Amino acid sequence: MSKVQRTGVIRDYDMHSASVRIGYGFIFLCCCLMVVLAVFPLIWVVLAGFKDLKEFVSSTSLFPQSFSLEPFITTWNQLGIAKNYLNSLLFVAGSVVCALIFNGLLGYGIGILKPKGHKMVKRLVMLSLLMPTTISIVPLFMNIQNLGLGNSFTPLWLSYGANAMYVVLFVQFFESLPSSIIEAGRIDGASQLQTFFRIVLPLSKPICAVIAIFAVNAAWSDFLLPYLVLRGGNLQTVMVRLFVFSTEQTVNADTMMRSVVFSMIPPIILFFIFQKQLTENAVSVGIKG
Amino acid sequence: MSGQTKRMRARTAESIKSWLIMLPGLILMTFFVWEPLFESVRMSLYKTRNVELVRFIGLDNFISVTGKDDFAQALTNTFSYTFWSLLLGFALPVVLAILIGETRRSKGFFRTAVYLPNMLPGLAVIILWSAFFSGEKSGVLNILLGHLGFAPQSYLTRAEWVIPIIILIATWKGAGATALIYMAGMASVSPELYEAAAIDGATVWQRIIHILLPAIRKLAGTLLILQIISVFQIMYEPMVLTKGGPDNASLSLMQLMWQYAFGGSMNYGKASAVAVIVTAILLVMTAIYSYFNRRESDWD
Repeated sequence: MSKVQRTGVIRDYDMHSASVRIGYGFIFLCCCLMVVLAVFPLIWVVLAGFKDLKEFVSSTSLFPQSFSLEPFITTWNQLGIAKNYLNSLLFVAGSVVCALIFNGLLGYGIGILKPKGHKMVKRLVMLSLLMPTTISIVPLFMNIQNLGLGNSFTPLWLSYGANAMYVVLFVQFFESLPSSIIEAGRIDGASQLQTFFRIVLPLSKPICAVIAIFAVNAAWSDFLLPYLVLRGGNLQTVMVRLFVFSTEQTVNADTMMRSVVFSMIPPIILFFIFQKQLTENAVSVGIKG
Repeated sequence: MSGQTKRMRARTAESIKSWLIMLPGLILMTFFVWEPLFESVRMSLYKTRNVELVRFIGLDNFISVTGKDDFAQALTNTFSYTFWSLLLGFALPVVLAILIGETRRSKGFFRTAVYLPNMLPGLAVIILWSAFFSGEKSGVLNILLGHLGFAPQSYLTRAEWVIPIIILIATWKGAGATALIYMAGMASVSPELYEAAAIDGATVWQRIIHILLPAIRKLAGTLLILQIISVFQIMYEPMVLTKGGPDNASLSLMQLMWQYAFGGSMNYGKASAVAVIVTAILLVMTAIYSYFNRRESDWD
């Protein structure tokens, strides 16, 4: 037994009572059931991917007849998913860079430099947190069209440089940095930008990592604006492709399930590598909903 | 005197440089977030052709949009989504958080597992579940219920079932992540409070009701309004799962906006009118929330 004090409502001595022990058993069972509910659909979709069309629409068994990888390979080649993967990687990489640089610099201004009038910007950013983003997708798309930026990654990358949530996270972190270190750098005669890159950024690795992980996942899953900007072109990402499949119903149900599997592989890998950072910071990022 | 002006000038220069550093971020925020909000309002007052504003027509877009049957239907549906979301999805994360919080073993594993669905692309999740609720005999739910002796059912073509089903899927995806937020809130309760209550003879159940739940009340209020704001914008879920059907039974307001803009007719003015209406409703809700929230903090 560890010496660390437990946090739960049920205290150690409660466990001597039989009724609490039964209740606790029930709680544990519920938690296990929760895990099954969370994971079962994923296992099922992978199993479904092994079925060919005939089996997919007619079989009443959850398990496929054979576990040959051939259907996956055929779908991958037929649809040319490799190209979409490459596009997605490009889109994600640029988005993360933009998310860190632009939101980081804005956060640096609001949280550390604090020039006259920065409070107004801070208030505007906080307000934008509550404002839904998809609601203005129509005028945004028109602006992008008017600037001739259709069928290009540029507007999509830059859209990740305008994320109120990331700015707020940066500001909160920067405000917690000891001002003495930053002032010491300033006295050495470093310019504001030099201070940012030489002193602030190296101290901010944890928040940069968190924002990068969440931006990777957000960009990978993004499809509404990417669909509008990239549709019909040759830069379509995996999610844009999936969205086209689902709205135009151009592929069979079994191929659809395999595409779903393909689209889930990178987030799941990301999840298993960074599960600690993700679950610990879900709180701050999740508040956005 | 001259030293003072020099210092003032230096400070002004510093200030200008600071603004220059913030400028790229500000330009992007303006382009992607702030300007489109105002543009929405402006566009809703214009007759549009493709990306051009043809002429000012006052409230005509609003009158024409709200006069159609599908608007009334979408409005009702959107409130219905909100209702079901609160019914199915509001208390569940609290329950999950309490359950996981009480486990004395594998807590980390449970936390990780319930968070997993939140990481998956929302679009992939919807497509995955569409196969689950498929009306064919090969639909997963039909296979599972078939083992219990039920005949295959068609789920997504039943008007009274589509909205609860869509909310169920959204809850599956989001409840675990919300539970982690509640767990963080619950962790701030000092264990000594439970100890003290236990010594006074409070049962586990009483400790939950009188100590744990009051501690997260404020957090729950915040999450409630955020949940309402987010459900109110539900769009791609019905778009992909049911195309708003059967017979517009799952059509949402935002989906109606998308249809006006990108559903072939390219009527950006009317689409903006719908967007403005949704924004107005959300603003009213947020105002009501902050009013009650302020009242509450006055009480404290």
